[in-house]
Amino acid sequence: MVKLDDSPGYRVFRWINAVILTGVVVVTLYPFVNIIARSFSEERYIVTGQVNLIPRGFNLSTYEVLMSDPMFWTNYRNTVVYTVVATAIAMVMTTCYAYVLSKRHLKGRTVLIWIAVFTMIFSGGLIPNYVLINSLGLTNSIWAIVLPNAISVFNLLVMKAFFENLPTELEEAAAIDGLGTYGILWRIVLPLSKAVIATMVLFYAVSFWNSWFTAFLYLHEQRLFPVTIYLRNLIAGATTSDSYGLAAGDVTQAASNIQSVAIMLTVLPILAVYPFVQRYFVSGVMLGAVKG
Amino acid sequence: MRDISRRQAIIGLGAFTLVLAGCGEDGTAPKAADTSANRAGAMANYGVGQQFKATEPISFDVLYNNHSFYPNKNDWLFWEELTKRTNVTLKPVEVPLSDYEQKRGLLVGSGQAPLIIPKTYPGQEDTFVSSGAILPVSDYLDLMPHFKDKVARWRMEPELNTRRQADGRFYLLPGMHESVWVDYTLAVRTDILEKLGLEVPATWDDLYTVLKAMKEEYPDQYPMTDRWGDPTPGGNLFKLVAQAYGTRGGWEYLHATWDPTAGKFAFTGAMPQYKQMIEYLHKLVQEKLIDPESFTQQDEQAKQKFTSGKSFVISTNAQSLINDYRGPLEKTVEGAKVAKIPVPMGPVGDYKIGTRLENGIMISSKAKDNPNFVAMMQFIDWLWYSDQGQEFAKWGVEGTTYTKDSAGAYKLADDIDMVGLNPGASKHLQKDFGFGNGVFAYGGTTKLLQSTFSEEELEFQNVMNARKQWPVDPPHPFTDEERERSTLWETPLKDHVTQNTLKFILGERDLAEWDAYVKELEAKNMTTYIDLVNAAADRFKKEHG
Repeated sequence: MVKLDDSPGYRVFRWINAVILTGVVVVTLYPFVNIIARSFSEERYIVTGQVNLIPRGFNLSTYEVLMSDPMFWTNYRNTVVYTVVATAIAMVMTTCYAYVLSKRHLKGRTVLIWIAVFTMIFSGGLIPNYVLINSLGLTNSIWAIVLPNAISVFNLLVMKAFFENLPTELEEAAAIDGLGTYGILWRIVLPLSKAVIATMVLFYAVSFWNSWFTAFLYLHEQRLFPVTIYLRNLIAGATTSDSYGLAAGDVTQAASNIQSVAIMLTVLPILAVYPFVQRYFVSGVMLGAVKG
Repeated sequence: MRDISRRQAIIGLGAFTLVLAGCGEDGTAPKAADTSANRAGAMANYGVGQQFKATEPISFDVLYNNHSFYPNKNDWLFWEELTKRTNVTLKPVEVPLSDYEQKRGLLVGSGQAPLIIPKTYPGQEDTFVSSGAILPVSDYLDLMPHFKDKVARWRMEPELNTRRQADGRFYLLPGMHESVWVDYTLAVRTDILEKLGLEVPATWDDLYTVLKAMKEEYPDQYPMTDRWGDPTPGGNLFKLVAQAYGTRGGWEYLHATWDPTAGKFAFTGAMPQYKQMIEYLHKLVQEKLIDPESFTQQDEQAKQKFTSGKSFVISTNAQSLINDYRGPLEKTVEGAKVAKIPVPMGPVGDYKIGTRLENGIMISSKAKDNPNFVAMMQFIDWLWYSDQGQEFAKWGVEGTTYTKDSAGAYKLADDIDMVGLNPGASKHLQKDFGFGNGVFAYGGTTKLLQSTFSEEELEFQNVMNARKQWPVDPPHPFTDEERERSTLWETPLKDHVTQNTLKFILGERDLAEWDAYVKELEAKNMTTYIDLVNAAADRFKKEHG
């Protein structure tokens, strides 16, 4: 293969591209860097708007204050547990459903697909859902968090499309060699689907890590809350205390550096997951390219 | 034909039965509802000044607004001492403060609400009334001697009447203040006043003069920038200026305002007084005396401008004065002094305007079938409405968390802090003991309210309390059907008023177009709306007045 020199026009294009994309990166990173800077700064510099990219009045005491709150760690542990359990359940459920749907010879396949898609368009609404979860006896337990959202229809359809693209010959060959349905799924299909599985794990994990609404609806004790609710209360509490008419005891705020520290500690772990999952994305792209 | 007539007959019969049932209810108007079957644990002779103590240990669920500053701890002295004194154990359903209202709506709507639902602001109960999920508490006031006593002694009837629904009952046990408590006003840089030889402005006209003098000295700056503009534009400032002209604006804006001279309700956004408020603020904007961003900017921006010395006047309350302004100012501007000024007065004169109602308690209607219902009402009466209960909820246990001298002045224990009363103390009354908790401690006597105030704040309160109290508007409760109709009109009207108020003030729309603006409101059913309000007020007066 002969390596061609880039044309001048293309080089200009690349330069412009680089400038624009760098701009996008800066704009995207700025708020995050600002939060980092705030988390290390003294409160008085923050309220007077003097903290941008570099911490002023550098200190770690806010981290110490927040980390010494046992409720923060209790909630943090809950988040980890909920995310792991919920992702595991969601992966099993979604994979099974998607694999079934990917079989074109399945009778009633369209009905099964529509049952799933229907929930994307219509939902029972907040109160009926609450009554349902409550009557099932799930409220105020981990099951209220990990069961109701076990299948995301969007993820289900992505996975189904992926399975449909696997060559049927592979499965037929495995069947001839004596594997049953579950054997084929476990030993042939899943090992070939690492890319989509990694993607789904990431999608699910991130959404469960970030979610607070289901927990807010179905849990009644703070020792069961995920850390997102802790964080939300800290931030929203600081703004609502300014609203009119609150009783005297309520007019107290969480300082903005505490908020920043809480945000930092909450997003870090899930950010750290990305690099590890990334290599599966790359292999996923190549897997598609080789086929044909 | 036969079918239809049969159906008609059935419907007719049904309606007839309903009418009969309605009559039946009216006939036995539950002045003192029958509670003889629900007296388990209740005290036989419970009266004013008495300590409530259930005759057997009982417990109730309570919806608990969990504050991020003092999150609930199960080992708080508050819970322990409460059970010791009353034999009642409260089981809190913990809801984060950030989304309390949503969860309350969900729980009430699904029929799963705890029996006691505190932290409900007057007006918020309206949406729950038609569902029947909330108890009409006014039928059970005989179980609440302290509540009745305070209503009688403080003459709370006019305020309570504003909470009555079309059926003449009220569904919220509101918190009550002995006297109107004004906290929100303006903060002014007094060092600048001194430097320019200016008096503290007593009226809004004085404020105009002061701002003008400041502008002359600092021509490149806006002398005033304001906060509390989001989500309600000009929340505090519009409110205060509107009050001075005898109307309602900002946080307090309601479509209907009582016009005493006409003897009926007028549409607030079209009142001549409302126009005067706009004219005043427009003048400030036009002469560049107030930052035009004031009415909508984020608090954070406003605070930054004020604490960096770029402006000299801003909205405040007692807490913000200390935390948001004075603290940062001391570090950024040499010699800066800032103080809360008495609310400037306007054409209506020396009134203090506000409500004596505080957030209060709703009770699930299923509570009346609870065997401990009477005991629960007595318990609520003691904790939230007796002097003793209010003192306990706010200050804690005498000798442990506070002491009281012979003159009745409270003093926190030395190792306990709250609102900066004992700075540097190792423990905190709210965080470590659970007292001074917004769920349980609010309202009450002026003396109790002021017991945590600083000298400076007391001075402000004394000035404000010397003013007359503004009369309460007559009640005008809607029926369910009327409420449905009015809700359809309220939002478009409100949006139009808000948008145009801002446009007029900022000069984006000429005030000469005021009549056109009123016509636009007309097209949005302003008159039909206000007629509905007046009809409801007349009906209420005839039936219950």
